[in-house]
Amino acid sequence: MNPFIEIITQPDNIAIVIMIIMVTFFTLWAFQQAFDNDKLIAAGKPVDGENEGLVDTFKPLVRIELIIALVVMVFLTFWSIVVDAPLEEIANPTLTPNPAKAPWYFLGLQELLVYFDPWLAGVVLPTLIIVGLIAIPYIDINPRGNGYYSFEERKFAIVTFSFGFFILWLLLIVIGVFFRGPGWLWYWPWQEWDHSRVVFEPTRDLSNVIGIDSRSLPGFIIGAIVVNGYLVAGMVAPYRYLKKKMPDFLKQFGMIRYLVTTFLFITMMSIPVKMVLWLVFHIKYIWITPWFNV
Amino acid sequence: MATDNQNKSSYRVYLFVFFSVLLLLMTLWIVWDDEFGLRPWKKYQKEFKSLKHAQLQKEYDKAQSDFRKSGDAQTLARLEAQLKKAKDLFNSSDVQQKYKKLSGQWADIHESAARNQKELQTNRGQYLETEYYFTKTQKPEYKKKMDELQKRIDAITAKGVALQKQEESLKAALVPFTSGIADIEAEIEKLKSPLEEKKERIGTSDKVPVEIRQVYISDVDKADRCQSCHIGIDGSKQISAKQPFTRHPASFVFLKNHDPEKFGCTFCHRGQGRATTSVKKAHGNVKHWDEPMLEGDMTQTSCLKCHGDVKHLRGAEYIAQSTELIKKYGCYSCHKIPGYDAIGDVGPVLTEVGTKVNYSWAVNWLLDPKNYFATARMPKFFFTQDEAESIADYLFSMSGTTRHDVDYSTETPDEKLVEQGRSLWSQARCNLCHITNGKGGNNVKVYAPDLSKVGSKVSKEWLFRWIKDPNAYFPGTKMPRFRFTDEEIKALVEYIVSEYTDDEAAPKYTTPLEIKAESIKKGKDLIVKYGCYGCHKLQGMESMGQIAPSLVTQGITFLKADEMREKIGTELSSIGSKPVDMLDFGKLKKSISNDRLSYIKQKLRDPRGYRLGLRMPNFRLTESEINGLAAVLYGYTDNSVPSRFMVPSRQELDKMAGVQSYKFSGDFAKIIEDVKCTNCHSIKGIGADYAPDLTLAGSKLQESWIRNFLANPDVIRPLLQQMPRLGLSSGNAPAKVTMPRFNLGVQKVEDTNRSDIDVILNYFQQELVSTDIPKDIPVITTISLEEQIAKGKELYDQKGCRSCHQLGTDGGALGPNLSNVGNRLKPGFIFRHLENARKFKPDIVEPDYGFSERERIYLTNYLMTLKLNAK
Repeated sequence: MNPFIEIITQPDNIAIVIMIIMVTFFTLWAFQQAFDNDKLIAAGKPVDGENEGLVDTFKPLVRIELIIALVVMVFLTFWSIVVDAPLEEIANPTLTPNPAKAPWYFLGLQELLVYFDPWLAGVVLPTLIIVGLIAIPYIDINPRGNGYYSFEERKFAIVTFSFGFFILWLLLIVIGVFFRGPGWLWYWPWQEWDHSRVVFEPTRDLSNVIGIDSRSLPGFIIGAIVVNGYLVAGMVAPYRYLKKKMPDFLKQFGMIRYLVTTFLFITMMSIPVKMVLWLVFHIKYIWITPWFNV
Repeated sequence: MATDNQNKSSYRVYLFVFFSVLLLLMTLWIVWDDEFGLRPWKKYQKEFKSLKHAQLQKEYDKAQSDFRKSGDAQTLARLEAQLKKAKDLFNSSDVQQKYKKLSGQWADIHESAARNQKELQTNRGQYLETEYYFTKTQKPEYKKKMDELQKRIDAITAKGVALQKQEESLKAALVPFTSGIADIEAEIEKLKSPLEEKKERIGTSDKVPVEIRQVYISDVDKADRCQSCHIGIDGSKQISAKQPFTRHPASFVFLKNHDPEKFGCTFCHRGQGRATTSVKKAHGNVKHWDEPMLEGDMTQTSCLKCHGDVKHLRGAEYIAQSTELIKKYGCYSCHKIPGYDAIGDVGPVLTEVGTKVNYSWAVNWLLDPKNYFATARMPKFFFTQDEAESIADYLFSMSGTTRHDVDYSTETPDEKLVEQGRSLWSQARCNLCHITNGKGGNNVKVYAPDLSKVGSKVSKEWLFRWIKDPNAYFPGTKMPRFRFTDEEIKALVEYIVSEYTDDEAAPKYTTPLEIKAESIKKGKDLIVKYGCYGCHKLQGMESMGQIAPSLVTQGITFLKADEMREKIGTELSSIGSKPVDMLDFGKLKKSISNDRLSYIKQKLRDPRGYRLGLRMPNFRLTESEINGLAAVLYGYTDNSVPSRFMVPSRQELDKMAGVQSYKFSGDFAKIIEDVKCTNCHSIKGIGADYAPDLTLAGSKLQESWIRNFLANPDVIRPLLQQMPRLGLSSGNAPAKVTMPRFNLGVQKVEDTNRSDIDVILNYFQQELVSTDIPKDIPVITTISLEEQIAKGKELYDQKGCRSCHQLGTDGGALGPNLSNVGNRLKPGFIFRHLENARKFKPDIVEPDYGFSERERIYLTNYLMTLKLNAK
């Protein structure tokens, strides 16, 4: 059987197939509503949900949630009776499974291990994701878009979130589940998994490109300059831009909110940056320190 | 707007109710699934219980009807009537009065005896107390009191004795009143108890709880729950022939020696012992469970886990027979297999093969050994003609030219010689080991080559040299030296070449005029690549033998004997437990079932089928041979077995105990090496079981008889003994064969002036004797020898000895012919043999008649008179 079909039909991957379908459906639905509302707003017409003021939580919301909770429980119970937990072969200490894959919901993080130092990919980035999600309500001072969908009124928030969630989280999971085979090598769905496949892709550190050993002091200094330069530039450049174009907003936003937001944002953006460096320029690390590598 | 909201909310109520009910149903489903769906063994246990109940009930009913039929019921009725009568009598006022009076008296005396006893105890206590004070204070008043008390104690004791006597006599007087009743009651009880017992058994069996039955064997960490369904597996009686309720087949061998409480089930049968949720899972027929359950003969593969020697193991016949295949095909020559160390001893020596065979034959043989004869043991290596020629070139170039004893270029064939050769051929019983035209070859253990077309294979010069002294060409060959004269050998050679030549086979491949060095090099590389030295001795490759596989791909590197690590093939010592992931199914991954057993079988069927570049040759095994070999290989596991399970083989035990294995010594060893007695005979555990065991020959056989027999061998046991033991070549009908004539006694043993027969006899008398067998039998002086012989003959007729033994032409053919036993066996041996035949031959069929010593003496004396006059 084709490994792709085999992967899809595996009982433990049913969840991820369901996830893909549901996420696509609800995203499209939400964007559809957002664009419809944008048209209404542009035409100066009222939007359903706008200006409705306060409504009861209990009747409309909690009741629906209760019913949905029942549906989900019925479904999960049925599922767990009918489909047994899929077991693999007996663990053999002398034989590591290849590929060794994390549970599907962690495969995005596992994918990051290809590009990042394990300390960064495994500890720092997950922590920042949680901290960032917690910080969202405190950073967001945009009063519009409450109670109805709109894209035009929350462009930055929606684009940033969509990028972080769909691309950097879900897409990486899909890649991890469907496109990674033995040796964590990339396999297209129509390709046969080959355990003896060897791929030779030499990578270098950044300073080695210009002929300086990345583990030497000059290499260290170059790396430090580049990394810190990226952080500083990433914070200063938007500031100058906003100061020029939207000084009112910047004032209202405040320095602390600005620093936190930009820090989280450029950290998130460092993921695609590193991916490009690795995949296109074959650069492994930018900055080698005795404690971690960036 | 409001109505809309109301509509919405009432519609939500229905949804809520619907899903709540659904959730409730799901919950009930969970409970059902947990209680029954996932516990199929409950159903089996209940069914078993009802079956057992029915069986016990049937037994009980039968016993009841038997009870009625057999007249026991009438006896019971009679006894009950008697009991009633006796009770009535006992209850009659007259008797009752007497009884009451007597029992009243007895009760009074019993009471006063008890009171007396109590008083005695009080007084003794007081005495002890006083004694204590006296020893402490030494006051005389205590002494006085003590004496007083002592007197009182004596009096009470005396009274007690009297009372006891009285009580006993009264009790005895009471007994006759009730004894009749008690006797009858006991008899009734005895009559009824078997029935009651049967009834009780129904009750106990019904009370057995329905529960998981688990055997846990801590030192292999196995928990087997098989008996949760196979509940009748170790029962004393078959409850039902239906699975899973049957008893274990042949449990008197398997379960008796392997208590399920100690061994569990999966230790031998494999399967998933812990699984209880479905039959399929428990039997291990699920994905990722590498150990599917073994059934039938295949289970014997597990014998190899613990038993070092399965040869005569009861219940392990299949695996014992299959193990012979490993030896036959020499798997250990290329693969590391536990218990087999030798290398280069499967095929013949090839060091001088160029002087033996012709070039065309060699190439043809290399291309496919079955071209030459269909039963060839050598596998097919799929050489191209070019490769075969290169190998032949190498072999011929290494052989050199050897001096020959006879120059056949000047000899002319002679009809008379051929005829002489023919009679020598049959005298030497060549067909005992060699097959010619589909006949012979009964001694399957020596794997002698088929000689049907040998004239087209070997040169006359070589054949002459070979028959003259096989050890000179092939040290360690199984071919004996027959001690023919040169003239006789010439005759034999003429006969063989004229009789056994394939006239139609013209030489296909011409001998090259000049052997090219390039071709020799290529031949050598091929020999090294395919590991021919594993089975054959080759010049210059005797010590290097083995190749480390990791080096094979980077060119050939030889290792010295002490650097040997691996044989050319994969190590097989744990193939039976190798993870399936580590088996390379290659091209066949999708076309055959991906389990270990299928892998092994397919490998044996088509050794190079999995991928390109494999080197194993094709043995062209039959399906039954494949199954047998696979069963053996499947048994080679690296699962650690607790030492208490291990049953080491004889050799292992000897090794552990530091016992040196037996070695023949002196001139006799030379004769053994020359005549190869151990090809057929077993002596002190060495050799084959094709011909009689000679371990006790010195105690058993008479010297003169041995002499005569070796000079002119005769049939002793016409049917049984020379039949092939294994069914491996069952195509051959058991022929009436006997020992070949080795022309012993003609020549002197090397470096001595003793004849070989003398050496053999001397060794028999010195070494192959047992102190357990007396030289002579006890003598009876009370009756004359004639009478003893007559009584012996009477016994012989009476016990039916003739149904197996032959006297003259009369009698059965299962046992040895006894017509000449008086000349053959020593009386002491017969005497001992009649006492316990199994002592000397555990698998003998002779029944044990339990003769007394006198009877044995009579029989021995009779048998010793059975002599044929020497012609």
